[in-house]
Amino acid sequence: MTRSVIEEPQSWTLVEVQKPNLTDEEIRYAVKKLQREPNEVEWAMLEAQWSEHCSYKSSKPLLKRLPSKGPRVLVGPGFDAGVIYIGDGWVVTLHIESHNHPSAIDPYGGAATGVGGVVRDILSLGTRPIALLDPLRFGSMDSLHTRWLFDNVVRGIADYGNCIGVPTVGGEVEFDTFFERNCLVDVVCVGLGRKDKLVLGEARDPGDLVYLVGGRTGRDGIRGASFASKTLAEKSDTERSAVQVPDPFTKKLVIEAILEAVDAKIIQGMKDLGGGGLTCGLSEIAAKAGTGIEIDLNRVQTREPNMQPAEIMISESQERMVLLVREENERKLVNILNKWEIGYAKIGHVTRDSLLIIRRGNEVVAKAPAKFVAEAPPVPRSAKRPEYLDALAEVPEPAMPEDLAQTLIELLSSPNIASKEWIYRQYDHEVGIRTIVKPGQADSAILRLPNKRSLALTTGGNSKQCYVDSYWGTVGVVSEAFCNLVAVGAEPVAAVDHLQFGNPGNPEVYWTFKEAIRAIANYLNAVGVPCVGGKVSFYNEDSMNRRAIKPSPVIAAIGLVESKTPKVLQALSREGDDLIVVGNTSDEMGGSEYYEHIHKLVGGRVPRVNLKKEKTLLRALLRTLRRGDVESLHDISKGGLAVALAEMSVQGHKGVTVDIDTVPNKTSRMDNLLFSESRSRFFLETKPKNSASIVNSFKRLGIPSAKVGTVTDNGIEFLSKRQVIITIPLDEASRAWSEAIPRAMEATP
Amino acid sequence: MSPASFTVEVVVENKSLARDPEGETIHHNLILKGGYSQVTNVRAGKLLRMNVEASSPGEAEQLVRKLCDDLRIYNPAAHVCQVRVVS
Repeated sequence: MTRSVIEEPQSWTLVEVQKPNLTDEEIRYAVKKLQREPNEVEWAMLEAQWSEHCSYKSSKPLLKRLPSKGPRVLVGPGFDAGVIYIGDGWVVTLHIESHNHPSAIDPYGGAATGVGGVVRDILSLGTRPIALLDPLRFGSMDSLHTRWLFDNVVRGIADYGNCIGVPTVGGEVEFDTFFERNCLVDVVCVGLGRKDKLVLGEARDPGDLVYLVGGRTGRDGIRGASFASKTLAEKSDTERSAVQVPDPFTKKLVIEAILEAVDAKIIQGMKDLGGGGLTCGLSEIAAKAGTGIEIDLNRVQTREPNMQPAEIMISESQERMVLLVREENERKLVNILNKWEIGYAKIGHVTRDSLLIIRRGNEVVAKAPAKFVAEAPPVPRSAKRPEYLDALAEVPEPAMPEDLAQTLIELLSSPNIASKEWIYRQYDHEVGIRTIVKPGQADSAILRLPNKRSLALTTGGNSKQCYVDSYWGTVGVVSEAFCNLVAVGAEPVAAVDHLQFGNPGNPEVYWTFKEAIRAIANYLNAVGVPCVGGKVSFYNEDSMNRRAIKPSPVIAAIGLVESKTPKVLQALSREGDDLIVVGNTSDEMGGSEYYEHIHKLVGGRVPRVNLKKEKTLLRALLRTLRRGDVESLHDISKGGLAVALAEMSVQGHKGVTVDIDTVPNKTSRMDNLLFSESRSRFFLETKPKNSASIVNSFKRLGIPSAKVGTVTDNGIEFLSKRQVIITIPLDEASRAWSEAIPRAMEATP
Repeated sequence: MSPASFTVEVVVENKSLARDPEGETIHHNLILKGGYSQVTNVRAGKLLRMNVEASSPGEAEQLVRKLCDDLRIYNPAAHVCQVRVVS
């Protein structure tokens, strides 16, 4: 019998780009503040907490420009999740996270633990996670590596979400070669709870006991966020690189145990442990309230023998939470934890002196002000407009395709446009029985709330447009999310952003980051909706060629649907109905699927949004929907109006005939008119008797609108000057759209 | 030399320092609760048994090892993979 162990090929590990050791300035700052040289444990803690991941040291001043206040906002940025009041004593919590680097190395476990992380954020406010959405970005589907990542990421999300009983109700996917190595795996989680039972991540009361609850602390994940210290290098790199293993069943128990304790009102403060581990959790929870915390590491339950203090303090082992509890409620907490068979340890207590004191037995191994640890000195970054933008702005117009029907078919089968059923059928999107509108049925998902209202959720992202023009591309991303909300009859109430970029030390990357924040701030101010939280992820670079990813701001937004609003989906419903277009179409082809997928052309003018008119448009559409005259509705986005119409047609098994010349537009070419991705446009289906009044209601407000066609029992047909310019049988369009992704995934290496 | 048939086993487990929730669950909820306290640890994994035509045990092992790499039967960042010719 022979036997061998397969060695780990070197090429598989990502280049360690996410681990800046402390800079000279930070080292000087630390020594000056402490008035002594920090010891080994303290350095390790500072390295972890002052990493970009935990400290937002490059982004904090800019993030303050985002509007974050509003009548419904109970908790804004700076906590584990934003909290929105939805009436009748109920609150909704919202947060977005990513797990990009872990997913690039171990797509299954990385994506699953990403879900676990954001679920803990929602839980730590004392709210029950009720829905997940997953915006994903991968390389080209032609690549085996991409398909391997894609397949495993989707499975990781599905398995974890399904096991903890939280439905995955939406998301979006973008394929682009810039994400070949560094895929982006974002997770949005929404929670539901009672206003009077909210828990904050603040250690307000000295004397409260600190409990570490959930999984044991191990060496896994130590390399995860920031640590590259040679002082810990007794183990070899391959040993220490043990990835984090998802454990959804433990998570499910943690969720139930904590919610029971929340319900009993015995938790004074709570914080999930993610990046930065105990260091981050303890320093932030104390710093927020101006208190201190003292713990004894000997009480921490470790999974491996001989763990060093520094390792325990920065371990990012999954499924752990820090709870603060009054001494008189200790027994109740322990009973609940025992009932659910959750591991726990009383590791210390909250103090008055605002110091973070880490002991091992009687020996103090680290001691520093909590605020000093929690708040890294901001890093000034310089910004410079990238030179490549000039070249992207002036691309030659492509040749007009000879067969526009063929072009439309090719667009429908582009993975960026094609049906995502292959993904969401792996997700349990109905567990919890709150889901009213499911993935694929409309532009947003809708969940039932306990107070007769319902909640619409959506995400938006468009790296292709953000690459060509980071300001207008980002404005478009936010607009897309808000249009998705009103398209299901929801009034937008809050958003969170996730800003994913390359190395912030690169002035060109930082410039695109600044532009994205300016864009989000301008848009949100224009429509009067707050940003209640978010996340920044830098150092997303392709390890093979050291190229930054395309700028990838992603927005998740929620809206409230009033009880009397009719449910409107995107599938066409009745032959003989009229089709109405709302919004203007211009020559805005930059970053469009038509340019990039059909012509392999990157560049051009990116769609802009009229920020003065956007709120009026969203309101007007909402009014129209609430009146009940709309039979189906779809926002026009990727692939332009031809694709939007084909999607409505295929999903409703109905044909359409559209006179393209009647579409309000300022385009110079037929292909631009059909495939431009101009923002803030919608297709509405209505009964013929309502057409004129709907069109006029928009026109009165200065919003272009027109009746452009009818629903038929034939195929998809576009006319111009009485000539048929596109005609496609329904089943052909349907096949192109629904089979593209499954077929690509069946391809063998 | 004419090819013979070999039985090759592939065992995929989480890396030794990584957790193994499945093994932990079997250990804790089944074995320990069932009274077998002599068992101190359980690791779960995946076993693939393949019948392979090759001219030697070494060739069979090489072939299977290559296919495990090429087809990503395991993820080297997360797993250890043993290949053994058993007959």
